[in-house]
Amino acid sequence: MLVCLVFCGKLTTVDAAPLCTNAQAGCHVLSLANLFDRVIQHSARMHGISNDLHSEFEVYFLPSKNQIGRVSRNCHTSSILTPNGKENAQRMAREELTEVILKLLVAWRDPLWHFHQSMAHHHDFNNFSSNKSLEMSDMVHELRKGVQKVVEKMQMLGIISNSVSNLASPEALLASDSAEWRLMKDYDLLYCFRRDSNKVQNYLKILKCRIVPEHGC
Amino acid sequence: MMKKFGEVILLLLLLSFVPHAEVTRYSLPGKPALTRCRSPEKETFTCWWEPGSDGGLPTTYALYYRKENSEMVYECPDYHTAGKNSCFFNKNDTSIWVNYNITVVASNALGSTFSDPVDIDVVYIVKPNPPEKVAVTVMEDKGWPFLRVSWEPPHKADTRSGWITLIYELRVKLEGENEWEMHLAGQQKMFNIFSLRSGGRYLVQVRCKPDHGFWSEWSSASHIKVPDYFHRERSVWILITVFFAFIFLIVSWCIHINSHSLKHCILPPVPGPKIRGFDKQLLKNGKSEDIFSALVVSDFPPTSSSNYEDLLVEYLEVYIPEEQELILEESKDLQDGCLKPKGSTFDSDSGRGSCDSHTLLMDKCGEAKDDGRQTDQDGTQTGSEAQRQQAAWEQEALTYAHEDMISPDMSSGRVKTWPSVFSPLPQYSLSPLNQPSSLETAKQHCLSDSLFPPSSLSSYLTQPGQSTKEALRSSCSDFCSSNKQPLLLHPQPDARHQLQARSDVSISSISHKEAPAGLQLPTVRSTEYVEVHTVNEEDMVLLHPVPSGHSHGKGCLQTHQGEDYSKVNGVDKNNVLLLQREVMEEQVDMCPCENQDANGATESYCTSSAQKSIPCIHTALPVQEEKAVNGYVDTATMFPLPIH
Repeated sequence: MLVCLVFCGKLTTVDAAPLCTNAQAGCHVLSLANLFDRVIQHSARMHGISNDLHSEFEVYFLPSKNQIGRVSRNCHTSSILTPNGKENAQRMAREELTEVILKLLVAWRDPLWHFHQSMAHHHDFNNFSSNKSLEMSDMVHELRKGVQKVVEKMQMLGIISNSVSNLASPEALLASDSAEWRLMKDYDLLYCFRRDSNKVQNYLKILKCRIVPEHGC
Repeated sequence: MMKKFGEVILLLLLLSFVPHAEVTRYSLPGKPALTRCRSPEKETFTCWWEPGSDGGLPTTYALYYRKENSEMVYECPDYHTAGKNSCFFNKNDTSIWVNYNITVVASNALGSTFSDPVDIDVVYIVKPNPPEKVAVTVMEDKGWPFLRVSWEPPHKADTRSGWITLIYELRVKLEGENEWEMHLAGQQKMFNIFSLRSGGRYLVQVRCKPDHGFWSEWSSASHIKVPDYFHRERSVWILITVFFAFIFLIVSWCIHINSHSLKHCILPPVPGPKIRGFDKQLLKNGKSEDIFSALVVSDFPPTSSSNYEDLLVEYLEVYIPEEQELILEESKDLQDGCLKPKGSTFDSDSGRGSCDSHTLLMDKCGEAKDDGRQTDQDGTQTGSEAQRQQAAWEQEALTYAHEDMISPDMSSGRVKTWPSVFSPLPQYSLSPLNQPSSLETAKQHCLSDSLFPPSSLSSYLTQPGQSTKEALRSSCSDFCSSNKQPLLLHPQPDARHQLQARSDVSISSISHKEAPAGLQLPTVRSTEYVEVHTVNEEDMVLLHPVPSGHSHGKGCLQTHQGEDYSKVNGVDKNNVLLLQREVMEEQVDMCPCENQDANGATESYCTSSAQKSIPCIHTALPVQEEKAVNGYVDTATMFPLPIH
């Protein structure tokens, strides 16, 4: 029985082996492309959910058209410097781009969780919206982890340097202005997140086509 | 007063005109409206507006925009690139993920009018250009063609860097049709279309859409023609061939199943001569002697109690209508005494037809009828007819006796009367007639007509010592000759004719022969009536003469003047000879012939049939079926030929 325990322990410590061993370089690249595809799909789904929720909120709150502009959209993430055009995005280094993605994802973890909480308490919304907000919040969390894995992979492959900070650290969390988003209304929150998820998706695609362009770009 | 009134009116009129003049003054321009803004590649975008009323003055339009989180107002950098009432934002002026607040201002000399502002984010107004380089080719997959459509993204949209992700859709339709077939191709740039119509012409179009945006316009239609891979004409012929082969198989199978019945239907079996011992080949050879010799059965008359049925089968009925008639004629020397049974007493015996010869019948009457003979003629013999029959039977009996022929007990159940006739009339003498001249012909006819036991004839007419065949012949001939006697006595042209029908030249000769004085055929003709008394146990009909006004004796062949009951009409069910009553003189007594109905192929001596009468003797009379009123049958009535 002790022997079995030892074996089981050994098994658990072993990470899930990829389809190909680490020794093969081509296999690494393939797995990186797969990772990128996975995170891109994930981000696409996340964006879809945020889009749906935003459309629902528009129905409920019926803000006037002019309000869209006047809100000024001071998203709490506006402090994060994100490229606003293709050239800007292409000019940005991979590491920077990767950091931007990670910053965005980190910045939205708490606000979405609170948003979900407020949604759950608001009986105005049906269960469908409440489930979506929860899903959205979870997805941000999962996507951040996935992107971190991609970064680790890239760093391992030497594609990017190790200058990318570990954004999972509590310092990164504290860096984000946690107070700002509490002032935002729910609707504005959704609007901001919808845009940021689109940015994440787009940046990930650019990264993928820049690093592993031969796989579906 | 009047002047003032007019001035007031004039003033009013002037005032009224003033507003009209003011109507034409200019006004502020109407409010313009932004209709749409579009970006083809997410790098530039264009906005279009709709101008309002111009207010009568030249109006200028200006577009101003503010960016998100900025109070700076910028004017449209390019009013011309995109056409009239448009504003084009180039790459430098375009920011993605930034809200634009755009307003159009229409201004004229009097003022300006602002339109409603519109907030846009370029990400969500992307409408790409249609896909480019759409190529459609026909490719084959194991003989079956399919279309391969390939295209490229619009050149402005940068998909290679991942900036834009496009998904494609294509549609196909046949030329001339209205319905398109849609296919979503996803992100791939190539698509296969299957299930094509042979020889059809197709149109293909492609469009694309960014993951969040608007569908592009359809590309220009690409034409393609699918080659004829399905040869309709050949397939139609193949179908027709298969179908007809199938039908043919079914029909042949049906024919095979019903081949037997079909054969009977189309080619009914031809009945052959049912003459035992008759050889067709001999007949073809033309040697009649051989034929007839073959017909002569060696063992006839059967000395043993053979099966009469077999014998019956062998023999054909011979019907000699004319001769019968002649013989039946009372006044003449129908010495055969054969009462010709009515020719009408015929059953459906097929063999009888050929033998329906009166002459033959007479011959038969002359000789003892074999029991094997089956005469379907019923000869109830009464009176003179019976007498005649009696005489004939006597003769036959004698012949039989001579030839050691069939004893009366040979008579089968079918022939009931004859044997009995034979026995009681032995006293009649046979007086064979020798008429050689007619012998031959008579012989011929006799032989040709029937198979009746030759021995009877021979014995009847000639010496009993002759062989059966010879006896037959001779008897036949003799009989004929004897029968001719009556013919002489009663020249009957018709009879002659009838006799001649059977190639009886002898008939005429017969007819001219001397009266058959010597013909003492013990025919029981004339006016003697014979009444059937009983049928003994041996199936013999016992007759006894009925006393009547007619004279007996003489011979059976006597012309009967007045009522003649010598005709045998037939035999009814109870085996009663039905004699036919005739009130004519011209009746020839025919040998009473009894034909049994039993066998269809039995000879009937006494069947009267004009065509078959042996020229020998009797006139052939058509069979007449007349039941005697009082039970008497006059066979003579069969023969319409007057015999005098």
